[in-house]
Amino acid sequence: MGIITAFIDDRLKKYDPIWMAEHGTGGQRTRYYDVTGVAKYREWRGVKDTLFDYLSWLSNVLAMGKMVASAPVSIMKGFWEYRWMGSFLGTFMFIDRLFEGYRDEELRVAHAQMHAIVNNLTGRIGYILSHDRRLGASKEKSEKLVPIDEVLPELFMTGFPDLFPVPLQTLPEFIICDVDQHIEPYYIDIAESFGLPADVCSRCAAETGVALDDAFPLVGKALITTNMPCNASEATSMFQRRRVGLPDYQATLAMIHNDDELALPFSREIMKETIAFVEEHYDTKFNWDAFFKAAKRINEQNNFELEKWDYMKTGYTAEVGIAETLYKLYEWQSVNGADPYFNKVDRKVMKRLRKCYEKKYQPFGGRTRHRAFLWGPSAVYYTDFPTWAQNCWGIAIVLNMDSTMGFNMVDTEDPERAIDDLTRLTQKATMRHMAVGGWDNVNAVWEWAHNFNCDMVLMNDNIACKGMLGVHSIMEEQARELGFHFIFIEHDLEDSRTVSRQNMRDCVNQYMSIVLNEEPLDPTIVNFDDSDAY
Amino acid sequence: MKIDLKALLNILLKIGLGLLIFFVVTFTIYMGNFENKLIYYVIRPFLNKHYDAQVRDRRIV
Repeated sequence: MGIITAFIDDRLKKYDPIWMAEHGTGGQRTRYYDVTGVAKYREWRGVKDTLFDYLSWLSNVLAMGKMVASAPVSIMKGFWEYRWMGSFLGTFMFIDRLFEGYRDEELRVAHAQMHAIVNNLTGRIGYILSHDRRLGASKEKSEKLVPIDEVLPELFMTGFPDLFPVPLQTLPEFIICDVDQHIEPYYIDIAESFGLPADVCSRCAAETGVALDDAFPLVGKALITTNMPCNASEATSMFQRRRVGLPDYQATLAMIHNDDELALPFSREIMKETIAFVEEHYDTKFNWDAFFKAAKRINEQNNFELEKWDYMKTGYTAEVGIAETLYKLYEWQSVNGADPYFNKVDRKVMKRLRKCYEKKYQPFGGRTRHRAFLWGPSAVYYTDFPTWAQNCWGIAIVLNMDSTMGFNMVDTEDPERAIDDLTRLTQKATMRHMAVGGWDNVNAVWEWAHNFNCDMVLMNDNIACKGMLGVHSIMEEQARELGFHFIFIEHDLEDSRTVSRQNMRDCVNQYMSIVLNEEPLDPTIVNFDDSDAY
Repeated sequence: MKIDLKALLNILLKIGLGLLIFFVVTFTIYMGNFENKLIYYVIRPFLNKHYDAQVRDRRIV
């Protein structure tokens, strides 16, 4: 068998984009139609890896088939009703883009984790749509669902095992903007047509647009919002609560939260009030046993994460780039201990990672030239930026900011200690932990980069984020003093019309070619037009 | 109990043939990226046309 695969690999290697780039006959972009981002054929990765990729594709197709079978009428109605549902059809192209150039161990880790996301997300979509009043679900059925803000980690909701939390913005905005760069500009335009200024964060504008367009699923009987970390976000919350029109509670956790003495007493009370709000409006009691079970799961995940970091610091790991950050983001922010399947995947992946470390496995065939810490939000996902940076310039994204969210352990025996830990974890959520959680959290970028043995820091620069614009020059000065290669990558988060994917790539291209005088690993992906791609 | 080897072989052959046909069809779709071409060039334009024609209840409150 080995002889046969070796023979086929030898005969077909001229179609492998990595081989093509190394031999000057093409590269990753060769197999694409221009502008659209549609590939003429899928990537040839050698017999074993292509077959593995095919089987992973097949299992994702089956997961989607299962979703449709779980609620066929609601799913079809959902596709017909919601524009954002149409964007989920781009998922296969999204996955293909993310894992371009992945081979061997990193491909296996990436697909194991991606399948967990697909599995969970498809199940969630099916469940939500089948409970959506707009699509015909009864009031009684729909009221088992609790809409909560997407940046509120849902671990606390595991104490209500009979209820189903729905991070409200996740389906129409938070996740789908990663899959399809053209979906959110539609909602942004709606928000702006009502007078919302065009220079606010495009995430907030898009969410507002979804609310104004009446495109949130109609579920639940009370809503939990939060003080999201900037003015535009808070405005978003206001527009959403008005339009959703349900009784609501705003979980206003401390924004500057690193100091336990100052922040914890306040945030703890908010956490307790949030739980009490659910108890009151859904006529139920918080179940500590159910909560402790989920807390054990998130503790296990966080323990694995800390172990992973030790391997990632060395470079002998198959947990890399966009696969690592996307999985961590979803596992932490959207699942947050609620789905045991993620622990199963983690255990499987950890076994593989331990072996990789023992045999000193180097991902991407050892073609990495630089190790970078990335400070990047959604714009790095729809652009598959870490994958591109590795394939084009050999820049390995060792860790992204999305992987640094709350990793404290949660007590699993004593409710009082547990509520403190839960509060700490909840405070360290998306954005609150990063851009607006205080200067210490932004400044920590250097410590992360240093601890992970990075020589480079890539910092995404959301041109509409007023908070982060203020620290622009300070970051540049610090990078010079500390001796990091430092690249600001301008982007307009979810609006790719303002700063295109190629504009973003050019930030890196210029630094690598002009400042470092390096040659690309794959010249076909230095400059290309993918403006019509999902 | 007497096992009818011929019948068993026949069943296994049919299962094998079915799996082979399934593999050839799905692998061709996969390698030719046909499902994405169908989505990008046919399904999405059709859905977008429908979405553009929707009358939505757009308002602030």
